[in-house]
Amino acid sequence: MKRTYLGEFEEVVLLTVAVLHERAYGVAITDELDRQTGRSVSISAVHAALHRLEEKGMLTSHMGDATAERGGRRKRLFTVTMLGSRTLHDIRAMRDQLWNSIAPNALPAISL
Amino acid sequence: MKPTHPTDPPRFADQLLEWFCAPHLLEEIQGDLYERYKRDVGLVGAAQANRNYFLNVVRFFRPFALKRKASEYTSPILLSPVMLRNYLKTSLRNLAKYKASTLINLFGLTLGVTACLVIYLITHYELSYDTFHPDSNRIYRLVGESQHNKTAEKHPVGFTPNAVPAAIRQEITGIGTVAAFHNIESEVLIPNGSEKPIKFEHRRHGVDNAEIVVVDPTYFDIFTYKWLAGNPKTALNDPFKLVLSERKARKYFGNLPIDQIMGKELIYQDSVHVHVAGIVQDWNQPTDLTFTDFISLATVRTSQLKKGINLDQWEDIWSASQAFVKLPAGATLEQFTAQFQRFGKAHYPNEFKFVPALQPLADLHFDEDYQDNYSRKAHLPTLYGLMGVAVFILLIAAINFINLSTAQSAQRAKETGIRKVMGSSRASLIAQFLSETTFLTLMAVLISLLLVHPILSAFQSLTPKGLTFTLFSAQTGFFLLAVIVVTSLLSGLYPSFVLSSYVPALTLKGQAGLSIGRKATLRKTLIVFQFTISLVFIIGTLIVERQLGYMRNKELGFTSDAIVSVRPPWGDKGKVLAQRIRSLSGVERVAMEWFPPMGQAFMVTKLKYQGKKQAVDMDVSAKIGDENFIPLYQLRLLAGRNYVKSDSLREIVINAHYAKALGFRRFNDALNKLIEFDGKKYPIVGVVADFHEQSFHEKMGPVFMGYMPHARNLGIKLSTKGKQMSELKTTLASIEKEWKAVYPDNRFEYTFLDDSIAQLYEKEQKTSQLVNTATGIAILISCMGLFGLAMFTAEQRTKEIGVRKVLGASVASIVALLSTDFLKLVVIALVIASPIAWWAMNQWLNDFAYKVDIDWWIFALAGLLSVGIALFTVSFQSIKAALANPVKSLRSE
Repeated sequence: MKRTYLGEFEEVVLLTVAVLHERAYGVAITDELDRQTGRSVSISAVHAALHRLEEKGMLTSHMGDATAERGGRRKRLFTVTMLGSRTLHDIRAMRDQLWNSIAPNALPAISL
Repeated sequence: MKPTHPTDPPRFADQLLEWFCAPHLLEEIQGDLYERYKRDVGLVGAAQANRNYFLNVVRFFRPFALKRKASEYTSPILLSPVMLRNYLKTSLRNLAKYKASTLINLFGLTLGVTACLVIYLITHYELSYDTFHPDSNRIYRLVGESQHNKTAEKHPVGFTPNAVPAAIRQEITGIGTVAAFHNIESEVLIPNGSEKPIKFEHRRHGVDNAEIVVVDPTYFDIFTYKWLAGNPKTALNDPFKLVLSERKARKYFGNLPIDQIMGKELIYQDSVHVHVAGIVQDWNQPTDLTFTDFISLATVRTSQLKKGINLDQWEDIWSASQAFVKLPAGATLEQFTAQFQRFGKAHYPNEFKFVPALQPLADLHFDEDYQDNYSRKAHLPTLYGLMGVAVFILLIAAINFINLSTAQSAQRAKETGIRKVMGSSRASLIAQFLSETTFLTLMAVLISLLLVHPILSAFQSLTPKGLTFTLFSAQTGFFLLAVIVVTSLLSGLYPSFVLSSYVPALTLKGQAGLSIGRKATLRKTLIVFQFTISLVFIIGTLIVERQLGYMRNKELGFTSDAIVSVRPPWGDKGKVLAQRIRSLSGVERVAMEWFPPMGQAFMVTKLKYQGKKQAVDMDVSAKIGDENFIPLYQLRLLAGRNYVKSDSLREIVINAHYAKALGFRRFNDALNKLIEFDGKKYPIVGVVADFHEQSFHEKMGPVFMGYMPHARNLGIKLSTKGKQMSELKTTLASIEKEWKAVYPDNRFEYTFLDDSIAQLYEKEQKTSQLVNTATGIAILISCMGLFGLAMFTAEQRTKEIGVRKVLGASVASIVALLSTDFLKLVVIALVIASPIAWWAMNQWLNDFAYKVDIDWWIFALAGLLSVGIALFTVSFQSIKAALANPVKSLRSE
């Protein structure tokens, strides 16, 4: 299957943008990642990933409102593009296909 | 409880971020970081939050955050023709608007650049001497170190005993090519069929180049000439062969075709008949090897030349006898040191010692230790000094520029503001101001190019002979380019930074000007610097002048007034001439002598005195003349009498220094003691007071006087009592008549002793002229700068002066108000300049054995002078400002 390659961290960031829907910007994404995955990442890493995703055309952005706690600075709000959405769906479909292909009892059982 | 008041993250971290982060990303990134910081303050406290903030900032040091976004607009920096035209227009308008400062800058820069250019030409010319020979770094002169006996000093000599070069060629392995040569002085006769031969005179000593040499054929292996006729390999192999340079051949034979000149006969030293075997093209680059008549060395043994040149002589050294060596490629000097030492030991087992050495060709023009008969030495420290002077003068001019343009920057602040508002970047502003400076410098360079020729011809006495100015050589072009670039940067960089740094919001409101006009620390420092340089020059001038005056006026120990030296040719007829001149009415006395008591030529010989306890063996200067010598020069007898007339050396007179050196307490004790010279003993009959025999650089040493038959030159004392200069002329004319009667074929030449003594100080005279010129230029430029600044401050303070006058200030107090600022600076400059000048002049004076003291009043005088000059310069403006009607300056706001 031909698609743009997406790194694992990029995928997670892209998903988080979708999760936050309309409220996705640097710090919010960092916090959400922390909350959802327990991964503590630096703001700069998130910014770098967002920057790359935007370059790849999976995200678009616009400047949002300024708040006092940001010293009057505006946020850059991100939304997932069509391409981003399709990529996410592709990845998911591929995963599902793989899961479905696994024979029962092929994986060692784990107790949840 | 959370802190309610908002705290801000650390300032320096913020600045760091603002510095490195790409502007288009800064807002979102900084916003995010602030948000996180606020949260952190609440969670973990301000200190930890600060640390986190800093860490977060540092983590943004990533490519994506550093990379700047390409601008949407093309910036109009340098390449847009519209902007260039605008720059040029504003430059010209500004130059035209501030005429005074433009003129001052242009004049100063022109002077500075001209001085630089002239000095560059001189130094470049001197430093290029003999650098054009192929493999010139492998060519050396054979020199050595000689010692007359065990106790005597070792002297470096630029020449070798006659037999040494041939022996070196044999014995020193790996030495390469050796070419011996001998300078000879001779008339040249060209046989002219049955008629009288055509005669070419001796060269005039010290005026003409040495041109006649007797050389090994290998000379032409070492130095490359272009051969117009003859075979370089064989031309000089046989006796009685001659190679001429083209110019000399033309001089001797006119326009005869070259192949007809070949084989022609010439006669040197009356009896040496040689035939032309080759003609070479003259070198046209600067060289000390000015030879044009090359006689084959093989001629020496088979002709009368052997009388003057004994090729088997080991123990006598004579400056005419020299040799050049060309080492093989890759040879080093070190590999010969030991061999030369062995050579010296092997050949000089006796008293006289000589150890050969090699002197690089490049040093020939500069090293005064190694003397010879042909090279004109240039004084390296003087050359370096000159370069320093050039740099300082240019620096002073650049400082004027800096001072005037920063002083005026207030006026241009508005322009800067508008440009910035219209979107000009700082870099393009700097480029604009720099290009203005470059424009001015370029004009200065063009003007100075026009000036160089007249200046070089005006200062001909200062510039080396043969200096030509080739403007269109690559090197000169490169130098000029360097001058333009350096000067523009030097004078333009700081002002352009200042001008471009103005914040448009302030300058457009008209606030920047005032603060800039008052705060002038840098300007003051630069003025102090300028005046320090000027003061050093002033002090230098004063001291050099004083030393020169001292040398002119100090008692020499003999009289030099109205004494003329005449040098008859070889032969016995000199006595006849002396007799004839003696009988002339305007002549007081005539002495036969070697040389006058003081002058360039002197001769040192070894004398021995067998004292009671020990023998005193020392080098003593010989002054040889007949019994008229001492009375003619009015040497003062301290004891005994003059030697009596004789036809050979019978008695001697010594000077006080020698008498003391021999250990006599009283001069009378020395009388009738015997001195051994050349194996014979002669009695001392008199002691004279010490007198100077060389320049004031040398100490007075031991001297003896006596008569020897080969004292053939004439010293003629003209009677001056109650006579005019014109009468001296008639006496000289009658002397010339006598000369013509005795020597119908020779040119009559004479020198006044005063002139030849003055010639000893030629270098000092030149130094003094140079220092004077440099001082003049330095003072002129710095005063113009001061003038410009004074004008500017007076203008700036018109309102203040108006108010002061209205409130009752007197003209004097206002002049004082405007002048004191500048005077303070001059005084500071004096304090800095004095020790520098003292040190430098002390170095210069150390060269003299007899010198003036550096008195404190010289510094005071220099200070007074410069204060006076500064006051004079400033007063123009300050008086004008003080006299202005306050109504005019206060009327309009």
